[in-house]
Amino acid sequence: MNLVFDIQKSIENNYNNNAFYFGDTYYSYKDFAQVISDIRKEIQSSIKENEINIGLITNDDVQTYASIIALWMEGKAYVPLNPEFPISRNSTVIDQADIKTILDSSETKVFTEFNVILTKKCDTSEIDLTPVEVTKDDLGYIFFTSGTTGTPKGVPITFENLSGFMDAFWELNYTITDTDRCLQMFELTFDLSVVSYLAPILKGACIYTIPKDEIKYSYIFELMEDHELTFALMVPSILHYLRPYFDEIDCPAMKYSLFCGEALPLDVTEEWSKCVPNATIANVYGPTECTIFCTDYTYIRKGDNKTHNGVLTIGKDMKNTKTIIVDDDNNEVREGENGELCLSGIQLTPGYWKNEKKNKEVFFTKKYGGEKTRFYRTGDLCTVDSDGDILYLGRVDFQAKIQGFRVELSEIEFHAKAALDKLNVVAIAFTNSIQNTEIGLVIEATEFETKQLLDDLKTKLPQYMVPTQIKFINSFPLNTNGKTDRKKLNKLFS
Amino acid sequence: MEVDVIKSKISDALVSILEHDNFELHDELTAKDVDGWDSLSHMMIITKIEEEFSIRFKLRDLNKLKNLGSLVSVIQNKI
Repeated sequence: MNLVFDIQKSIENNYNNNAFYFGDTYYSYKDFAQVISDIRKEIQSSIKENEINIGLITNDDVQTYASIIALWMEGKAYVPLNPEFPISRNSTVIDQADIKTILDSSETKVFTEFNVILTKKCDTSEIDLTPVEVTKDDLGYIFFTSGTTGTPKGVPITFENLSGFMDAFWELNYTITDTDRCLQMFELTFDLSVVSYLAPILKGACIYTIPKDEIKYSYIFELMEDHELTFALMVPSILHYLRPYFDEIDCPAMKYSLFCGEALPLDVTEEWSKCVPNATIANVYGPTECTIFCTDYTYIRKGDNKTHNGVLTIGKDMKNTKTIIVDDDNNEVREGENGELCLSGIQLTPGYWKNEKKNKEVFFTKKYGGEKTRFYRTGDLCTVDSDGDILYLGRVDFQAKIQGFRVELSEIEFHAKAALDKLNVVAIAFTNSIQNTEIGLVIEATEFETKQLLDDLKTKLPQYMVPTQIKFINSFPLNTNGKTDRKKLNKLFS
Repeated sequence: MEVDVIKSKISDALVSILEHDNFELHDELTAKDVDGWDSLSHMMIITKIEEEFSIRFKLRDLNKLKNLGSLVSVIQNKI
């Protein structure tokens, strides 16, 4: 695959440029090449050739990013494991992906029972960035997202998927060069991180990350101002946090300000545009299944922008993606009608990792433009207008987005019910006073002390999935269909 | 304002947002040590403290708040 060769070329051509900024330390591309080579050597000597899926502890340091590139150069895939996630959740991922080896940049091993390579302690070797042969079907990574049945589901992404994404991304003309300074604000378990490090690496630009112990939104602001960042992909919830301080923010150096992962409201975007007066602002959209993002809309500074309920359009499909909007029977609806957004093209994952049941549910083939085409049902309710711009209307199921992370409410309910022994619960996603989404839990019981429940949930779920508010109700209200009335329960939270 | 008074007002703000008082106020206390004090509640805690003291933090102040001790001294400089 050319992608890995392109990474090699770019690193080699930019030895004198800064590649990363962690906390207060810069690393040049030469430094990066050295760390990649050292880790590669260790991979070659201690991982079997047929072992493909390798666990990666997601720390914030040069070794962790170098591990990704080293694995790719060895034709292997990385599976990110956040050390702050509960052990039981990481164990499920490790089991599902058949992980035997874990790359870990910590001082002491996070997991002791596997073949662990401590990447900070590799011997120094000669720089060698020439990749082994990688084919289009080889995997680059597997990311696990929230699953409805209490078990996270794996989304494998091939090098063909990833190359297809990069090709379509450059086509957008949101240019990055070797003088740019780019934000990487995402946990490495979140696929928006991939474009945030990969695009700068492919152009020899510098990547600015957020130390784990910093408050994200205020740290981003300091990076933007003090280091004059020129490129930033963020989730809209960062804007909601920053909004009370917009009058303090002035970042004329910013050239491209992209948003993805959640609905982007027009009014906040308008106010934000004054903080980044010279930037092109864009709203991009896409699920992990279609490799990072696959539709794009460029915000118009002086003019009308299309919205639905105040939320900006997600625009048109990018170069390598085809979108259709269908009814329940996978028939395309007419222009202007509502339906479920479906995606196809070379960015589309080959299917969930070892999950045929789920694959049958959400992937289907249908004749499109005279060809048999494989589509993915996104679960997003959309409509498309006569210009081809897609408007996001909501979800068709019970999935929510918390700071961009996908959360299946039923996964929270599953673990809460298990902890509460037969009590009935409903998880609710509600909008708080600063317009961000929070998780609430309603328990059908008389009030009791919930510390034990929360402690239990913290051992099963990542922090962002643990409910922030709990309410009690003696019996759940029902809607006219006799189902639990989630809308009424939603009103318990504010 | 006395440091003790400042601390007790901070404590009130924490209790009202987090709905528990399972923490001890000492200068090295950080958000990590307190149940429920995450990025989501942080914003609300900050807003509550601003109301309690009738002050307003700048964005740059927020990055200086590494622990309770630094929070107290940033507040002292504002009132």
